[in-house]
Amino acid sequence: MIFDKPTHIDLLDAVSYFLKEKIQGEVPPHLAFKLRIVENVLNIVKREIIDGEILSEEIYEDLRKLLDSDSASINDLAELISNGHIDLENDDLKRLLVKLSINKMKIDNPNYSTLKKLVE
Amino acid sequence: MNEDLLKVLSDQLDCKSSNSKIINLEPLTGGASKEIWKFEIQSELERGKYILRRGSGIEGPLAIKTSEEAAIQKNVKKMGALVPEIISVSTKDKPLGDGYVMKYVEGESIARKILRDEKYKNALKSLAFECGESIAKIHKANINEFSFLPRKSVFEQLEDLYQTYLSFNQPSPVFEYTFLWLKNQNFGELKDSLVHGDFRLGNIIVSEKGLASIIDWELAHIGNPLQDLGWMCGNSWRFGNTEKVVGGFGDLEDLLRGYNSVSDFQVSHEIVKTWQVFGTFRWGVICLIQAAAHLNGSVNSVEKAAIGRRVSETELDIVDLLFLGGK
Repeated sequence: MIFDKPTHIDLLDAVSYFLKEKIQGEVPPHLAFKLRIVENVLNIVKREIIDGEILSEEIYEDLRKLLDSDSASINDLAELISNGHIDLENDDLKRLLVKLSINKMKIDNPNYSTLKKLVE
Repeated sequence: MNEDLLKVLSDQLDCKSSNSKIINLEPLTGGASKEIWKFEIQSELERGKYILRRGSGIEGPLAIKTSEEAAIQKNVKKMGALVPEIISVSTKDKPLGDGYVMKYVEGESIARKILRDEKYKNALKSLAFECGESIAKIHKANINEFSFLPRKSVFEQLEDLYQTYLSFNQPSPVFEYTFLWLKNQNFGELKDSLVHGDFRLGNIIVSEKGLASIIDWELAHIGNPLQDLGWMCGNSWRFGNTEKVVGGFGDLEDLLRGYNSVSDFQVSHEIVKTWQVFGTFRWGVICLIQAAAHLNGSVNSVEKAAIGRRVSETELDIVDLLFLGGK
């Protein structure tokens, strides 16, 4: 990248800090509620920039093994299930669906109760 | 905007002829698709608190008209269900738009406050039982009085949800799996009933004494009554207290004890779990619908955009229920 510091992460952190520490206490309750959503959104973006690629690649690796194909995609798997071309009792399929859901949750909401329960 | 609202609300309530006025009009945090306002009416003799609930014009495809919500509540109140008293109903063609005014009910609706605040500790002990009783009362309503409500079997609903999911063109292996799994389940052969459709913390008002009122009827319909029980038990509505199956505060045994004490039929634990999977899938599709309203440009809302990233919560809850022994 040709860009100077602050990095995109540094910039997101600065905005998050500003919203949380300087604005949150200054707005009426119905906007404070929405502001918390905004802060969560910024955190999703930050986590996806940092870990998105590695969490996706873990899934693609398992997907290639399960479907025995070098170019298998999430869409392919959805289609195979929908068309009845994969056995729903296949344990590798079940394991992959669990891992896919866990990896998505690590970005979307790492504090989600079910994720905490499953990874602890 | 508040000045305009103040005027149409005063006209709706006919404040001029009763020589009263509206004071302290303020917005409350509502659902994603409704406006909620709190206000007081001051007359020479008295001063009372009220709530205005009105449609924002961006309701999802599953929602009924706000004025129809009022009609349901008026009806079930007669049977002793805990709902707010409706004092005025407006329709889309009137200046106030599609909405209604109800008496304010003392208590709390924000789930996290109910679960966290010390003052509700006692109320929470019997809340699951009370919710069960109340849901059963709603299910006993005479459905012939609600001809305006959509009526769908679980398999018709399931097909609708699946087609809606497909229309967003975002394939989910977990949802595909779930759809096939649900198609092969037994949901119980029960008489069609009035279903609240969104009975959970957030849509009930809890006072220090217990359940005070049932609000937010926008997803009401006619169908299999067990849907309300499964919905209430979904992990999405436990607000982090995942070990407490009913709303993050109670046990399934207590909910069913309350329900079975009023209902004409008895409900088992096993069937609730099937409905829980259905409810979680339904919530996932509702999240997709909400996010699509932002993505297709019909509304620019960070709240709706964010909810698109909650679809994954429902996928994780479903695989937990189906493969990992989740409750």
